[in-house]
Amino acid sequence: MATEDTKDSAKADILIVGAGPSSAFAALELTKAGFDVVVLEQGDWTLRSEFAGATPEWELKAQKNWHPNPNRRARPADYPIETSDSDVNPLMFSGVGGSSILYAAHWVRMLPSDFQVRTMDGIADDWPITYEDLAPYYARTEIAMGVSGLAGDTSYPDESPYPNPPMPLGRIGRKAAEGMDKLGWHWWPAPQAISGRKYRHMEACVRRGTCLTGCPEGAKGSVDITHWTDAVASGTRLVTGARVREITTNTKGLATGAVYVDRSGVERHQQADVVIMCANGIGTPRLLQLSTSAVHPNGLGNSSGLLGRNLMMHPYAAASGVYEDDLESYVGPSGHAIQTLEFYETNLDRGFVRGAKWQVMPSGGPLGLRAGYSDSALDDVWGDNFHRRIKKVTGHTFEWGITAEDLPDVENRVVIDANLTDSDGIPSPKIIYKSSENTQKLMDFNLARAVEAHQASGAAEIHVTPLMRDCGWHIMGTARMGRDSSTSVINEWNQSHDVPNLYVFDASAFVTCGSANPTATITALSLRAAEHLIAERRNQEIPV
Amino acid sequence: MSENATVLTEAERALYGTRADVLIPGAEGMPSATQIGTHTYWIDLALAARPDLLADFKASLALGSADDPAAAINEIHSTQPAVFDAFSVLTSGAYLMCPEVKALIGYPGQEPRPVIGDDVPEYFGMLERVVERGPIYRPTVTA
Repeated sequence: MATEDTKDSAKADILIVGAGPSSAFAALELTKAGFDVVVLEQGDWTLRSEFAGATPEWELKAQKNWHPNPNRRARPADYPIETSDSDVNPLMFSGVGGSSILYAAHWVRMLPSDFQVRTMDGIADDWPITYEDLAPYYARTEIAMGVSGLAGDTSYPDESPYPNPPMPLGRIGRKAAEGMDKLGWHWWPAPQAISGRKYRHMEACVRRGTCLTGCPEGAKGSVDITHWTDAVASGTRLVTGARVREITTNTKGLATGAVYVDRSGVERHQQADVVIMCANGIGTPRLLQLSTSAVHPNGLGNSSGLLGRNLMMHPYAAASGVYEDDLESYVGPSGHAIQTLEFYETNLDRGFVRGAKWQVMPSGGPLGLRAGYSDSALDDVWGDNFHRRIKKVTGHTFEWGITAEDLPDVENRVVIDANLTDSDGIPSPKIIYKSSENTQKLMDFNLARAVEAHQASGAAEIHVTPLMRDCGWHIMGTARMGRDSSTSVINEWNQSHDVPNLYVFDASAFVTCGSANPTATITALSLRAAEHLIAERRNQEIPV
Repeated sequence: MSENATVLTEAERALYGTRADVLIPGAEGMPSATQIGTHTYWIDLALAARPDLLADFKASLALGSADDPAAAINEIHSTQPAVFDAFSVLTSGAYLMCPEVKALIGYPGQEPRPVIGDDVPEYFGMLERVVERGPIYRPTVTA
C-alpha cells in the first residue's frame, strides 16, 4: 500500500529520510509543534493481512518473504548490502515502520554504565549524555509503545511503572526462571512493546508467536501502528516509494533537501530547511557518503573521517535446551519471556570488559528457520531421524539468546561498494565487520554460563550456536555523537558538527552500544533531540 | 487450490513422491510423505508459498536415477546442495503443514491464545529472591 504526497513539493520545514522508529517519534513530535514535515520512505505501508503468521505456510514464508535479511528477502524496496567482509549479516526492513515491522519488540533501556564506558571501564568513550538525561524520555517511549513489564527490576536505578502488566512468562519463561533461581542469578519478566490487552492503536496480543515475521493481529508495537497513522493525521507528509539518492547542499555547505527517485523512476528534489537522517546505521552513512560536494568532498558531515566507522552490531550467540517436559515453546509472544542482566556489567575477573543481555524466546514451529541440511549427513537429519527429532524438539525447546556488547572499532565500518547498486542504480553499501578478541571472550564466557542455566533448569540436551550469522538487527555507531568534532560526527543534540541543519536521529548516533536491544534508546534519543530542535527553532541556521 | 497447482505433471508428482518418501518415510508412528498426500496436494501449497524455489525443485527432479530414489537423493545431496536444500525445505515444509501430522507431533500450529489474567503469582516467590539480592547495576559516576 502506498501513500503519495498530495501537496506540491514545496519546501518543507523539515525533511526526514526513512520511516522507522526514530523517524516516527520525531515526525509526530515535530508536526505537533507546527513544523511542516515531509518524510521520504523507500518502501510502503504493510497491511497486517499481508503477514503470514496466521496461515499454514507461515514457516515457509518466514524463510523468504519475511526474512529479516534484505539480501535474502530481496523485495523491491530492499537495497542489497555487500557482506563478504563481515562476520554477521545486517538485518532490517524497508517500509513504513522500518525494522519495527519485523523486530521482536524488546523494549529495554540501556544502563547507566553504558553511557560511561570510558569512565567506568577505561576503554572506548563516554557518551556526552548520561542515563539520567535520557531516563525521562525512556519513560515516554514506554508509554507511547504500550510496553508491558514489571517495575522494580534490580538491574535498573528507577522503578517507573510500565503502562501494561507483564505478559505471561509461559512454560518456557518459568522453566528458565527456575534454573536462574537455583543458581542465584538475576532474571526479570522482560519488558516488551506487546501487551495482552488492547492499548491505543495496538490490539491485544494473542500470543501467536509470529512477531518476527510481522504481527497479523496488529498487536505488536511497530511504529506504523503506534505513530504513523497519528503523524499523518496530524499533517506529516509521508511519501512512500521515495528512494533518496543524496542529500543536497548549497554553496555554504548547508543541507537544502534531498534528491529521490519515485516509484515511476522519476528523479525529484524535495527542498527543506532542515534534514534529519533516520535511515538506520547503514542507510544513513551510505547516503551521507554519497552526498559529496566541493564543500564536503568526503561526504556530508564527515570532516572527522568517522562517518560510517565504529559500526557495532551486537553479535548474537545462543544456547538451546531440549526438555522432557512439554513446554509449549511455540506459544508467543516473540517477544521475550524473561531476561537477565546478571552478566551485563564488567567483571575483570572474567578476562574481558563489558557484558551481555540474555533473553528467553519461543522456538517457533517444527520447521523453524532451518535450511535444508545439505551440510549434514543424510541419515542424521532425514529418514527415521526426521520423525524422532521433530517429536523430540517441537514444543520442548527454548533458547537462551545472548546479545553481546561489541566495542567501537574504527575498522568496523560502512563504505560504498564499488560495484553493487540497488534497483535504481544507487551505489550499495558494503560492511566490514569483525568481532574483537574481547567480544569473543565475552561470548564464550556467556555461552558457558547459558549452558549452566539450562542444566540448572533440567535440560535433557543443550546445543550451542557460538555466533549466529543472521543476527545484525542492531546497527549502531556509524555517525557517533560527542562534544569533540574531531572524534565524533554529531553533537549531543544529534546535530552535525559540520552542517548545522543536518541531524542524525537513528542508531548511527550511538557512542557505545551496551547490550540492551536499542530501539528504546533510539526513540528516547529521537524524542530528546526533537524537543531540542523545537526549543531552538529560532536559532536554527537554515539555507536562504 | 494454489496457482501453482498445475506446475507439476503427473509423472513429476509420481517421481517426486518416491523421493519424498526417502526423506520422510513412514516410521516412529508417523505417516510417510506420500501417505498424507505431500506429492499430490501439500507440495502445491509449499510451492505457492515459495515460488523462488520452484526452479531448483524442478531441477532436483531431473537429476539422478528415476528408478532408484534413494540413490538419486544421495546424488543430489552430495553434488547439488542448493538444489537439495530447495527440495528438502519444500518437502518438509509441505509435510508439516498437514493437520494430521501436526496432531501426531503435538503441535497445534501458531494458534491464538488470548491473555487471560497473568501468571505473576506463580513466580512471585522466585522474583522476591532476586529483589532480596539487591541492585546489580553500576550507578552513574558524577564528577
